[in-house]
Amino acid sequence: MSRQHETTSAQAGIGRREVLLGLASSAVILGSAQRAFGQVRVPITGESAPIPIAVPNFVAGTPADGEVGAGVAQVITNNLKRSGLFAPIDPAAFIERITDSDRPPQFANWKTLNAQAVVVGRVTRQGDGRLKGEFRLWDVQTGQQIAGNQYVTSPEYWRRIAHIISDRVYEQLTGEKGYFDSRVVFVDESGAADRRVKRLALMDQDGANVRYLTRGADLVLTPRFSPSTQEITYMEFGQGDPRVYLFNIETGQREIVGNFPGMSFSPRFSPDGQRIIMSLQQGANSNLFVMDLRSKTTTRLTDTPAIDTSPSYAPDGSRLCFESDRGGKPQIYVMAATGGAAQRISFGDGSYSTPVWSPRGDYIAFTKQGGGQFAIGIMKTDGSGERILSSGFHNEGPTFAPNGRVVMFFRDPGGSSGPSLFTVDISGRNEQRVPTPGFASDPAWSPLLS
Amino acid sequence: MAASVALHVLVIGWGLVSFSTRAFESHPEESVTVDVISASAFAKAGMKTGKKDNPKPLVEKVAEAKPVDDAVGKISEKPPVVTETAPPPTPKVEDKPVEKKPDPPKPVAEAKPKEEPKPIEKKPDPPKIDPIAEALKKEEKKPPPKPQAQAAAKPPEPAKPKAERVFDQSKIAMLLNKQDPTRQAVTGDALNSNAALGLAKGAAADNSATWGAMFKDQVKRCWKKPDAGIDMQRVEAEFAIKLRKDGTLESMPVAQTSPTSSYQRVLLESGLRAIIACAPYRLPAVFFEEWKYFAPVFDSKEL
Repeated sequence: MSRQHETTSAQAGIGRREVLLGLASSAVILGSAQRAFGQVRVPITGESAPIPIAVPNFVAGTPADGEVGAGVAQVITNNLKRSGLFAPIDPAAFIERITDSDRPPQFANWKTLNAQAVVVGRVTRQGDGRLKGEFRLWDVQTGQQIAGNQYVTSPEYWRRIAHIISDRVYEQLTGEKGYFDSRVVFVDESGAADRRVKRLALMDQDGANVRYLTRGADLVLTPRFSPSTQEITYMEFGQGDPRVYLFNIETGQREIVGNFPGMSFSPRFSPDGQRIIMSLQQGANSNLFVMDLRSKTTTRLTDTPAIDTSPSYAPDGSRLCFESDRGGKPQIYVMAATGGAAQRISFGDGSYSTPVWSPRGDYIAFTKQGGGQFAIGIMKTDGSGERILSSGFHNEGPTFAPNGRVVMFFRDPGGSSGPSLFTVDISGRNEQRVPTPGFASDPAWSPLLS
Repeated sequence: MAASVALHVLVIGWGLVSFSTRAFESHPEESVTVDVISASAFAKAGMKTGKKDNPKPLVEKVAEAKPVDDAVGKISEKPPVVTETAPPPTPKVEDKPVEKKPDPPKPVAEAKPKEEPKPIEKKPDPPKIDPIAEALKKEEKKPPPKPQAQAAAKPPEPAKPKAERVFDQSKIAMLLNKQDPTRQAVTGDALNSNAALGLAKGAAADNSATWGAMFKDQVKRCWKKPDAGIDMQRVEAEFAIKLRKDGTLESMPVAQTSPTSSYQRVLLESGLRAIIACAPYRLPAVFFEEWKYFAPVFDSKEL
């Protein structure tokens, strides 16, 4: 047979090598053709939808851990629900009670509820007094465990375990980094409108664990986190001129950043945490300066007969955006982090202020004033793609979540009422009020804590 | 002179005769009454197997509403098939987790909980590997069906051209004459033997617009498309799936897309969940040869 084949090939003037080559190439073609032509492609499109997920109470490792187990599940549920990307299922509908977090759940029980994923876990107070939290994320349809881990911490930080687990679940199911294990520093406001007491306050991103950092004797504004989340820089208006301060969250120590004549305000950390950029008043104008926290040297970045303020670095530290009225009205400009020529990027109707660069690098959020309204919006870093996320009587001071997906801002309804904090997805959807003990303004979102 | 006159006369005369004869030779064609029908209707008209049976007729032809009737008809014809197959799917889905997990967990539960993070990570691996391995095995086993399907499809193609020729000249007229009773009378199981409907271009039958839309409607109910945020590039997640006649999955869907972004990974996983969750699928049995193996493609495009 093989001889006959060879003869045939030879007669046709085709060598063995060519035949082999031909076979090889035809195999390649068949291989690719099989997929291209062998199967009919059925395109499926649809609207995005929140993912139905079940978070039953975490199993208590010891009888005393029951309350924490329920608390962890509640915090995770709340985080996922507030993100707008998940639809946690009401625990009242649960068929199965999880008693052993190491065993896979009975998936049929969760399919009945249309859950796509189930988070099961356990919290255990260990012999050394520390708290261990474990979780497993199960894909209900495939019956696979798609994430799982355990964390150990002091019992009082049980909420952080819940936030970290929330982040893992969020990332696994949405493909984006989470933002739940983070904090927000803001200005807590209390008292009558004409005698407002403003205190620096710190809380978890979901509004829990509020902690006051200042007593309210002096006016505080524009707090900003350091990349390490251990320090805050802010402006305080005490007896003299407004000054920029540095506050250590752990030690409670505070210090003035530089000693400049006139006002210093609108501070923000550089992405490496080594410098603070701020505005310094010079007569009727103000310009941008950057101060190295180690050497205490100060460098001028702008020199214009205008008000340059609200600087914010790009995440890579190469550029910064800021607000300037050098063109007549406040607008947003972008320039190199070392100074030099600035390029105006906002050209819509009205004025733009408080620009802040997304940690993801893709957008700049801003406050836009015009037509008697204050709006929160975002635009790309070249000024294109402007998108208004929320507008009304008074919205101001956007700050990005660590993943750049959510913006927090404050809204003041006017009248005798006071401001509150809100979050909104950068798509403009899913606006949510952030619970605070009193009125709140000037939020700044920290990076992820871990 | 006379010679030239005679020659001229001859030539002119011959010319006249030949012209006139040619003109006379052209036969006026018989007038044939023609209905304008769509290409697909025409293709089906070719299926002469349909007789004047009144119960079957017209079920097939008229686009989307018909398949439903057809399916209903079939269900009533084959009640046992439905009942037999309906139970198996649920047990099967449940069985896998139940069989695999209850047993190992107990020993694991006692031994591993106290161990460090590793146990948690180790457990997920084996189950993950299993389905993939199974899927691969199954896929390896499946290839034979494809060639068969292709082989089966190919023979009709060469045959078609011949049929076409015959078709044009004589059969069309015959068909047209009989049109009233039979042109849409293609129905029932007989269709399967005539899968090659696309005579005109020799292509395999493609009724995916019909059953594909039905599949899409069903799988969409279980699909929770992950939110892509803004400015996300449009991506696709493609699977190859094999279905049994009763609409259940013959094997785990096989991803044809290698995700290049985290969003594409999530899209792929959401699609997998949806395909499994919504099975079994109700699709017209007459097109089983087409939908027994096909490629659902989940598209991130926002509507």
